[in-house]
Amino acid sequence: MSTQSKYVCPYCATTFDAFDGLKAHVVDEHGTMPLPRPHGLINLSVNGQRYELQVEPNTTLYNLIHDQMGLTGVKMFCDRGACGSCTVIMDGRPVLSCMTLAIECDGKTIETAEGIAAAKHPLIETYVKHHAMQCGYCTPGFVVTAKALLDKNPDPTEEEIREALSGNLCRCGTYPQHPKAVAEAAKILQGGAADERA
Amino acid sequence: MKEPDLDYEIKDQEFSAIGKRGIRRLDGYEKASGCAIYAADIKLPGMLYARILASPHPNARIRSMDTASVEAFSGVRAILRYDDPEIEEKVVPGSYGAPWYVLTGCASWEGEPVGLVVVGESTQICDEALKLAKVEWEIFPHVIDEEDVLKPDAVTLHDKVPNEIFDSSNVNNPYASAFSGVFRIAEGRNIFQKGDVEKGFAEADKVIEFPARRYWHTWAEPELPSALCRWNGGYPELWIKHQHVYEHKQVMSYWFDMPMNKITTHAPYQGAMFGGWNWMNWSTITHYITALLSKRTGRPVKLVFNRRDDFYGGALDCAVHHFKVGAKKDGTITAVSIRSVFANGPKAWEPHMGIGHFLENSCVHNLYKENYAGVVNKGPVTAVRCEQLPNTFCFNMVFSHVAAELGLDPTEVALRNDGYEGKDTAYLAEFKRHYGKPERDSLRECIEAGKKAINWDEKWHLPGTEKLPNGKMHGIGFGWTHEWNSKRGSGSVGLLFEPDGSVSLLAQRSDVGLVAETAYCQIAADELGMRYEDVVLRPHKDTGFALMTPDGSCNLCTNGWVVRRAARKARQELLEFAANGYQEKTLSSPPAFPGYQPEDLDVKNSVIYVKKDPSVQKPVKDVVREVQCVQWWSHPQIFARGWKQAGSWTDPTGKASEQLVDYSKRPHLCRQAHFMEVEVDTETGQIEITKVVNANDVGKAINPEAVEGQQYGGTFMAASRGQTEEVIWDKGTGVMLNGNLLDYKIATILDCGPIEPIIVETALGYGPYGANGIGEDVADLVASLLGPAVFNALGVAVDDFPITPDKILKALGKI
Repeated sequence: MSTQSKYVCPYCATTFDAFDGLKAHVVDEHGTMPLPRPHGLINLSVNGQRYELQVEPNTTLYNLIHDQMGLTGVKMFCDRGACGSCTVIMDGRPVLSCMTLAIECDGKTIETAEGIAAAKHPLIETYVKHHAMQCGYCTPGFVVTAKALLDKNPDPTEEEIREALSGNLCRCGTYPQHPKAVAEAAKILQGGAADERA
Repeated sequence: MKEPDLDYEIKDQEFSAIGKRGIRRLDGYEKASGCAIYAADIKLPGMLYARILASPHPNARIRSMDTASVEAFSGVRAILRYDDPEIEEKVVPGSYGAPWYVLTGCASWEGEPVGLVVVGESTQICDEALKLAKVEWEIFPHVIDEEDVLKPDAVTLHDKVPNEIFDSSNVNNPYASAFSGVFRIAEGRNIFQKGDVEKGFAEADKVIEFPARRYWHTWAEPELPSALCRWNGGYPELWIKHQHVYEHKQVMSYWFDMPMNKITTHAPYQGAMFGGWNWMNWSTITHYITALLSKRTGRPVKLVFNRRDDFYGGALDCAVHHFKVGAKKDGTITAVSIRSVFANGPKAWEPHMGIGHFLENSCVHNLYKENYAGVVNKGPVTAVRCEQLPNTFCFNMVFSHVAAELGLDPTEVALRNDGYEGKDTAYLAEFKRHYGKPERDSLRECIEAGKKAINWDEKWHLPGTEKLPNGKMHGIGFGWTHEWNSKRGSGSVGLLFEPDGSVSLLAQRSDVGLVAETAYCQIAADELGMRYEDVVLRPHKDTGFALMTPDGSCNLCTNGWVVRRAARKARQELLEFAANGYQEKTLSSPPAFPGYQPEDLDVKNSVIYVKKDPSVQKPVKDVVREVQCVQWWSHPQIFARGWKQAGSWTDPTGKASEQLVDYSKRPHLCRQAHFMEVEVDTETGQIEITKVVNANDVGKAINPEAVEGQQYGGTFMAASRGQTEEVIWDKGTGVMLNGNLLDYKIATILDCGPIEPIIVETALGYGPYGANGIGEDVADLVASLLGPAVFNALGVAVDDFPITPDKILKALGKI
């Protein structure tokens, strides 16, 4: 007994005898490429590199960046959106990667501390110079938040810097050094020279 | 084996790295760029995860446990039960080497790791599987408030359960919980007395009595604890978040009865370590568990703790105190008596806990301390930056109350009572003269510098007398104590000239962010005559050289000696090689400076030169260069080893006495003075810290930015310790209510006003160059400085920490 395969449209359940028929149907009727994209497939740019990745629905952006991409600049500190250590810049805004599902990041552009360092952003050197770190665990989160601030506000006041960084926790208490580092990076970005010393 | 004397101080020694600002820190780029690796970041091929069952009850024992469903859960690869034959009754060394069980079926607080470990493909799988364990619990009554334990009519734990349940020091006790801290939970009382307090009270013009309390707080370190082991075909390889990495190699050797040289340990960067987790026995024993389970599964196993897991453990100062103090009108303190009830602590050590700084730091003759340990079902307490918290707390309380009650300037009261073990500053001056220490008055220098910075003479006022134009009350507080600590620790390091003339310090360290490795390189560079840029510490390598860990602020005061000894030895070897070359049978490496003796030569800026004719010179790299590394060495590499046990202070005058040999008795010579300004809103009870000044006599600042980092950081930690940090339990159920960083508030950048760090350098410390530690003083003392500042603002004492707005309003009679 011979059997006849049927091809079923995943959107409207219309059946076709040939695959080409189904292909033409989904393009014409549903406006998509031949077949729907598999659930969980996302495209995103991280530090200028394009990725096409299959992610689980419960994968957070933190898990994706830290565990799968191996970018250790995102850190798990509070475990629930209270500390800012896992901050990344997504389409220009600082977001908490531990509170963001990877599956929602399709089409997004993301920057991490590693990308900021690779681009030789002056924040990295001013953070080193001003000792804006102790154990360093929360430091990349601060650098990312500060970068997002300077992208939007190239000449922030000390009060604006403190306000911008107020969502980042540092248990070592390095806070007073951060405004100095951010202000000097702002100055360098505006064409000024680095200060003589810390 | 006799070491040459390498600990001499060089008069007017010139430095190009030590004490200089702008030295580039070694760890800076890695940490800022996100490239620094911590144990929490490490993921190995095929790695499994492990989680431990958390007790749902504050005081309970497992009667029976059915784990069939746990083992059957998809993704579970192994389990370890408390009654597993390999670990049942097994006692192993925990922190401090104290013997302890691996895993038991008893829990002394809600959340205690107990009874069952699950290994699976993910932490989620482990957590889900743990829910399937069918446990029949035998539940005992619990107590949450330490004072309740001592009430005559209290339902004491002893009424309900066998007395032995509390004696965790008995390792054969079937009720002992496996994970209690090194400071074992046990009830008891300790009394310390010196002089005659009743006589002191009789001599006083005024006797003051008052209570004070410090509620439970914890470490909240940023990197979540973990233990990772890969069993390498017979031997364990470990990645360790711990201050004492090398000790893990030692205890692993004991646990598995294998030689230490077969065991590999890695010490990545540590996401902060304030004691705390480090002193919990489970910080060590979990490595045994992961090693055992890695061996059984044939895959790497990482045991991970979540944020709530890491909240169970408190600081040593969680206590209620009742003070009685006698003083004369001029502020001379005649007697101090303190009765304290400590939560879960510290029965077994330091009976003078809480009154120690009066002994070490004052001329007060008559002291009495009565310490009770109240056993509560909250978890162990331990040193959380640091064990001196009860001492600084009580010291601050007494001085602020004496000054306020007598209407005196607290800085004058401090100067009047400065001293050592009941002796006044004349004794200290004589001691300094006798031992060739600089004759400087450290407390007076710190106070003068601090007063100037905070404008004390204009701003200080009597308590409750200064209302600001904004309607708030202005307060200004002052606290003081002695230096930290330099009395313990030992370390070793190797120093190697690489064939290109660069210098590697070889050691395993534990980096918790103190800029310590940079400071070691500064010392090595100046002692060798090398440029700082040419010296690097090879961090966390499993070399067998173990540096002193960042404990008790003894890090640099130990390792500074160690590195200096190694550098001085290596420098001598370098100059001998430059003058004499190397000969061995047919192998000959000619001298770089023929015709000269080693003593004719010197090194500066990484160049060797002839002292009498500096134009005759050669870069170190050209002197030590090898023709071809490994394949054809032309001479052995220049290498030296340094070792030192801290506390063995070298007497520069050669007058070493018994007092110095017993280093615990040598007097503290450096002082620390802290000032805090606040505004208190009497309508809302809100406190704003508007300025803090830290004047620290660190003896000698090897790396000034590192010192300032500790001053800033300690102040911010203290700001939230004073105002917000409190772990809260439900008394009825014994369940912790705020084990997360949303509900347990640590300071943000907005929670403290400007901080002015002042570095005083008297060279009176016992470390190299007269240095001493800075890591703990600020966070300890400033934490309770909020009390004196608020007292000064309101004229009413609110010494109930954390001082929250509701307590202010209650003290003002508004609620």
